[in-house]
Amino acid sequence: MDLDQFRAGLDAWLDEHEAELAPPAGADVTFDEEMAHLSKVKRLTYDAGWMRWGWPERVGGLGGSTLMRAYLGEALTVRDLVEPGIYSMTEVLAPTVITFARPELAAEMVPRLLRGDETWCQGFSEPGTGSNLASLSCRARLDGDVWRVTGQKVWTSLAQYAHRCVLLTRTGPPESGSRGITALFVDMDSPGITVRPIRAIHGRDEFCEVFFDDVVVPVDRTLGEVNGGWAVAMDLLPYERSTALWHRGAFLRRRLTDLLATESPDPAALGSVVQQLFAFHARSRGTQHRMARGETLGPETSIDKVLLATTEQAVFDLVADTVADRVVLGDDPTSARWRREFLYSRAATIYGGTAEVQRNIIARRLLDLGADR
Amino acid sequence: MEDSVTQALADGLRRVLQQPAPDTALEEFGWREALATEGLSVAALLFAEQGAAGVASTALDDVLAAALDRPGGPETAVILPAYERTAAPSTDGAPIRGLGTARVARAATAIVVSDAGGRHRAVAIPTAELRCTPISGLDPRLGLATVDGEWPAGEAGDEVDWPRAVAAGQIALAYELIGASRTMLTLARDHALVRTQFDRPIAAFQAVRHRLAECLVAIEAAQAAADAAREAAESGGFPTSLAGMAKALAGRGARTVARHCQQVLAGIGFTAEHALHGYVRRVLTLDGLLGSARTLTVDLGQELLRTRQLPPALPL
Repeated sequence: MDLDQFRAGLDAWLDEHEAELAPPAGADVTFDEEMAHLSKVKRLTYDAGWMRWGWPERVGGLGGSTLMRAYLGEALTVRDLVEPGIYSMTEVLAPTVITFARPELAAEMVPRLLRGDETWCQGFSEPGTGSNLASLSCRARLDGDVWRVTGQKVWTSLAQYAHRCVLLTRTGPPESGSRGITALFVDMDSPGITVRPIRAIHGRDEFCEVFFDDVVVPVDRTLGEVNGGWAVAMDLLPYERSTALWHRGAFLRRRLTDLLATESPDPAALGSVVQQLFAFHARSRGTQHRMARGETLGPETSIDKVLLATTEQAVFDLVADTVADRVVLGDDPTSARWRREFLYSRAATIYGGTAEVQRNIIARRLLDLGADR
Repeated sequence: MEDSVTQALADGLRRVLQQPAPDTALEEFGWREALATEGLSVAALLFAEQGAAGVASTALDDVLAAALDRPGGPETAVILPAYERTAAPSTDGAPIRGLGTARVARAATAIVVSDAGGRHRAVAIPTAELRCTPISGLDPRLGLATVDGEWPAGEAGDEVDWPRAVAAGQIALAYELIGASRTMLTLARDHALVRTQFDRPIAAFQAVRHRLAECLVAIEAAQAAADAAREAAESGGFPTSLAGMAKALAGRGARTVARHCQQVLAGIGFTAEHALHGYVRRVLTLDGLLGSARTLTVDLGQELLRTRQLPPALPL
């Protein structure tokens, strides 16, 4: 299957199944309902084969170019069938699990994620560890053939729904920095895990606090090497800035199209936002093709992230200027959606590495400016 | 083009641009023949190199002539739109008002395009019949001229694809702006690594690092857009609006880069003894040729409001 065949086949299938795939509508749709709908879309696309293309056969995929994954998310987003933030968690977590989990574990677990049977979350940030990931302190201690995990994570998206967690733990001495971190694949129903959702500014329980109190994790759930968790994290982070961002770009295009259909933004502001979106798409497309060729993604994806974050905020600044009354005063479903998305866009320069950290990476790794102190 | 051919061509063009008379050297190098066979990808190489080197050539005339299906060459100038504009230099046979590159003062003939209700027609006029006034302005080394004249009475001219020519020129200029931006960033980066204050290189200060990072983001955004617009133009399957977007992104990006790099270079970057000022002059001037970041952006916004549709999505 090549991309053109995939595109034609998927488009026809989506035309045929659009009603079945349509999301629940209205102002009072809950996050629970959105998550249930996401599972349904994943299951239907998996059973029809679309969700399996671009993933290795050893984890239930059908092989072929990763561009097909990028297009699937784009097509679902452009048709407003999924919300890309929750949809793309698969793109963030699955590639790294495939690379670092035992082959049998990956073969067992990844199909569940692709099929929508399971939700996974990413346990990286901690109360004392945001941008400085290497300072994390959630502790894992080896006890016979199990790890015992004690500590806290925060800003963990979808933890309240998650069946598994890709968890970074401190296994070296406290001062071991990036050399003393181990990644674990943890069952979220393990005794000792407590999840507390956090209500975010846009009215959703966007992320959670997750507490680990002497949680037992079998040692065969280690991802990569013991004390090799930094490599796992560094492998994962560029995925946050590749396929997932392409899907986010499709979402921005969709919402800009919606705005333009009924509203009349300032021409100069509109032109500028559309140019920025074009530049982001052009940049991200190059990244999708590099990934499809099997190239290792690295610090250059920080440019993609800066462009996406800047563009997302520009799109919703335009929205906030163009339909200010709806964003501020409107209580109808359309207004509520603009408001929610405007508020959520403020997070674009924070999640997945802040705008400042991305610029630090660009300065250090791409411009080779040396140490910053 | 294969990577090895591209590299060889880029190296050759770089050497050509070091010659004292780059236009003559380009002609001897066979740049127009390469443009004819390989298309805009050759223009991309040349304009990126000349932007990076800060060299002025009149190759833009050749790019426009080729897109208008005219032979071009040192004896043929193409009259550009007025500053910041994309409209043909004449409308419906009205007097010609436009700009010329340095070639217009030397060439025997100028190609002039007129817009007759959206259909474009070109005539070749002896330059002796046009009034060409050299411009010193912000960037005297560029050698621009204002061009005025009368549309020749009774001449209908041949039908040409002016939007395609504008798009080709915009793409070439986008690469020149990107090339110049990359050199400005290199100048500022090198300075930041050797200039020491408070006992450390100023490159260690986050305020400086983030300005330079911002420059690279602007450059890579413009580069990706220019590459996408060029591929689209070469495949012929996309509207010319992509070239205008790429030109606007490159122009705005170059202004961003100029601002940050001048700040990082500080006093020395404000002098006429340092190379930066030549690039600042160049990019501000190039930004206004074939539409500026400002006018292209407003024009795009107005067009989108008219059609109520975004430009087509860039396919994977």
